[in-house]
Amino acid sequence: MKIIIAGAGEVGTHLAKMLSNEDQDIILIDNDQSRLDVIDSNYNLMTWNASTSSISSMRDVGVSNADLYIAVTPYETRNITSCAIAKRLGARKTVARIDNSEFILPDNKAILKNVGVDFLIYPENIAAQEIAVALNHNWARYWGELHNGRLLLIGVKLHGDSILINCKLKDLPVKTHDFHVAAIKRNNETIIPNGNDELLRDDIVYFITTPEHIQEVRDLCGKKKRIVKKALIVGGSPIARRFARLYGEDFHIKIIDNIRENCEYMATLLPNCEIVYGDALDIEVLRENNIYQYDAFLALTDSSETNILSCLTAKEFGVPKTIADVENLQFLSQAENLNIGTTINKKLCASSHIFKILLDADESNSKFLALADAEVAEIQVKPKAKITKAPVKDLKLPVGMTLAALVRGNDIQLVGGNTHIQEGDYVVVFCLSGTIHKIEKWFN
Amino acid sequence: MFFYKKQIYYINILMLLRVIGYLLVIEALFMLIPCLIALIYHEKSLIDFIICAGATGLSGGGMMMLRPRSKDMGKREAILLTGLTWVILSLFGMVPFLLTGTHMSITDAFFETMSGFTTTGASVLNTLDGVPKSILVWRCVVQWIGGLGIILFTLAVVPMLNYSGGMQLFNAEVTGITHDKLRPRVSFTAKSLWAVYIVLTAILIVLLSFSKMGFFDAFCYGLSTMSTGGFSTSDMSIAQWDSLYIKIVMCIFMFLGGVNFALIFNTLTGRSGNPFKNTAFKCYIWIILICYAVFVINLLFQGVHRNWQFFTIDPLFQTISILSSTGITEPDFKEWGSVSIVLLLLMMLMGACAGSTSGGAKIDRFVVLFKFLKNESYKMMHPSTVTTVTINGKGTQSSVVNKTLAFLFLYGVVICVGGLILSLMGLPLSDSFFCALSAISNTGLGTEVTGISENYAMIPDCAKWLLAAIMLIGRLEIFTILIIFTPTFWKK
Repeated sequence: MKIIIAGAGEVGTHLAKMLSNEDQDIILIDNDQSRLDVIDSNYNLMTWNASTSSISSMRDVGVSNADLYIAVTPYETRNITSCAIAKRLGARKTVARIDNSEFILPDNKAILKNVGVDFLIYPENIAAQEIAVALNHNWARYWGELHNGRLLLIGVKLHGDSILINCKLKDLPVKTHDFHVAAIKRNNETIIPNGNDELLRDDIVYFITTPEHIQEVRDLCGKKKRIVKKALIVGGSPIARRFARLYGEDFHIKIIDNIRENCEYMATLLPNCEIVYGDALDIEVLRENNIYQYDAFLALTDSSETNILSCLTAKEFGVPKTIADVENLQFLSQAENLNIGTTINKKLCASSHIFKILLDADESNSKFLALADAEVAEIQVKPKAKITKAPVKDLKLPVGMTLAALVRGNDIQLVGGNTHIQEGDYVVVFCLSGTIHKIEKWFN
Repeated sequence: MFFYKKQIYYINILMLLRVIGYLLVIEALFMLIPCLIALIYHEKSLIDFIICAGATGLSGGGMMMLRPRSKDMGKREAILLTGLTWVILSLFGMVPFLLTGTHMSITDAFFETMSGFTTTGASVLNTLDGVPKSILVWRCVVQWIGGLGIILFTLAVVPMLNYSGGMQLFNAEVTGITHDKLRPRVSFTAKSLWAVYIVLTAILIVLLSFSKMGFFDAFCYGLSTMSTGGFSTSDMSIAQWDSLYIKIVMCIFMFLGGVNFALIFNTLTGRSGNPFKNTAFKCYIWIILICYAVFVINLLFQGVHRNWQFFTIDPLFQTISILSSTGITEPDFKEWGSVSIVLLLLMMLMGACAGSTSGGAKIDRFVVLFKFLKNESYKMMHPSTVTTVTINGKGTQSSVVNKTLAFLFLYGVVICVGGLILSLMGLPLSDSFFCALSAISNTGLGTEVTGISENYAMIPDCAKWLLAAIMLIGRLEIFTILIIFTPTFWKK
């Protein structure tokens, strides 16, 4: 697919790198050559130094036969303008990054559609929603829903009180196969496990399960269900404001910010929330605001370092759930090891959202979720495929893959050793990056 | 959910060897061409070539079997790989010269092969009479592969390299200050460039085979002309046919060999309207016209008379041949006088457009240099003026100017140091510098000791190794090779 990305900011750059590793034709436009230089010489894509709203340079770059045009500069109006031009010039689909919640209202979408913007990306909104998911399912590190929530992908970090620790997968106390361990992340490495793999302490284990069996997974991991009612937010950033705006009713929210004007502005904007003026790195301030009483601590300032450190402080105060906004990608893996609970990254949220749009549009691609070194694919079983020959346990399937679940008609079920896959089924497969072609052979 | 890839920080040697394996297999496939020729002409060398192709193919295949843990290649690997590839491919490519009846020493064979791969076209063969046809064709094939770059070819055909590591290889091998990408994916860019190259070569071969030369000569000259290498098939070179048609056809294609292939591709596919808006291309034409005029005037003053072709097509042929670094010379060039020699030196230094198959320091860089000098001298009078160097109607960044200046400086340094060492090895002074320039600019001429357009047979062995190294430095545009010899490159 030919994809043009306008704006080599953080989101644009990240998206370009990610998509270029996915064998897509990427052209990245920006008017700042110095931003393009680094990525141009290191990645398999093309860069173009031009204004993102220049019609002539859009023609030069070949917008007319682009499959997707993504405008992700920091300026909303510029993005919409450039999408509008791109659409008129012949781009098949356009995506614009916005920061105005009005645009995503269903009534207003049609207006933008008429202008020529097909999809909208509102990174703050996506991040706020992700925070809400993390608060509602606060025992999990990762919560992903497939097939409209009928199949769940849950990532859990195993602590000392889980009975799963040092268990081999084949010895798991499972009678009916109500869940499936799809992947294990251990020391920055991803393992697609087989029966002989053991679960260790501090692994992040990814389970595939159905909504009925969530409780069982949770109990096995030694986690308790906790309802979050009160949330303390540090930093009145756009994500914090968006979150307070969306979920001010569901949670009791207090926001601490160290800029007075910001506080006053938020006080008028968010009448439901308590706004406090103060420096959140000061322990006295936290103590004054009764940090002990809160169920959740959200560090959403613009500085990743501050967020990580203040989450660690909050953990010491005994706040059960902490969430840090870590915008610096280098810190992300470190932050996950620091035991600060969930991390949120606006760029990753936005780019994975755009990635989904892309995958939906590209029918030849069976992948529907991509992680840096593991892939999740949904593959339809063709008639007379090798995989239908015998029940799963009798097939000699390659290492580095696991069949997680299958969709047969309207029925969703997990795949076990005795499952016999039939033609026409859609099978959800986990595999390591780059091995998907080997696996597709089994299905054709 | 965010996963980090494990990174390997030092050189990924298995991956390097694996890619070189691919390259060797490709070289082995190209060795089948001389096999075919040997078969057609019933030459004894057939067996030798089959052995060579088999050995190269097997070693390549063996290396392809390696399974590196990671496919990542960084800048360091890319640079090292590019340098190694050219040396290793030359080592395999020289085996036919050793085996078949040309009686070459290892030094001579390596020199000949490197001279071929870098499209220099300097030869150590005293005479081409009696050399098997299969060897003649292999020399031309080697030049043709080297013309656009063997790694570029690999990028086009090996899908494994179609990722960011391949991009690094592309940057390390393709000539020029900046590297034009034609399409977003590097394999498409490589395919497009090779498509242009193959089509042009095919047209040239067809056109030449209509002339007095037979198909065999047309094929060889087609390969060596399009790659601007300049190996010939006989001692007389093209003078033996004395055909106006051949000269004109070769003029046109040597000229095209000196044009940026990306520009040709864009013009043919109608993506960029007017090629004459390209600064380097415009300069290329102007330089040809001016040099041609100087040659003609010089010849008129010299008063050497022969026939009308001597004043019309011959100087033009000579100009384009030198400027595009092909290095096929007119037989009576020695009579043209000293002005011609000076002009020759300048043209060798200059070379043609970046992104072409030609050598030299490239016109693009001289354009940047002269525009920069113009700006600087203007600033002497008007110190507060802000200036930029404009190329193709767009201002460039000062880093481009810096890179160009650094490159030209190093180019001069390599010629001086190379010339100095050559003179220590016993070459006459003027010769040693001329040979160094001729090698770095991949033209392949030599004066006096060797006599213009004569061969390099009589220079000492150590000088041949040095010249071969200078050729490679010139072909990969200095930095790619020299950087391997800096301590920082090997630092962990």
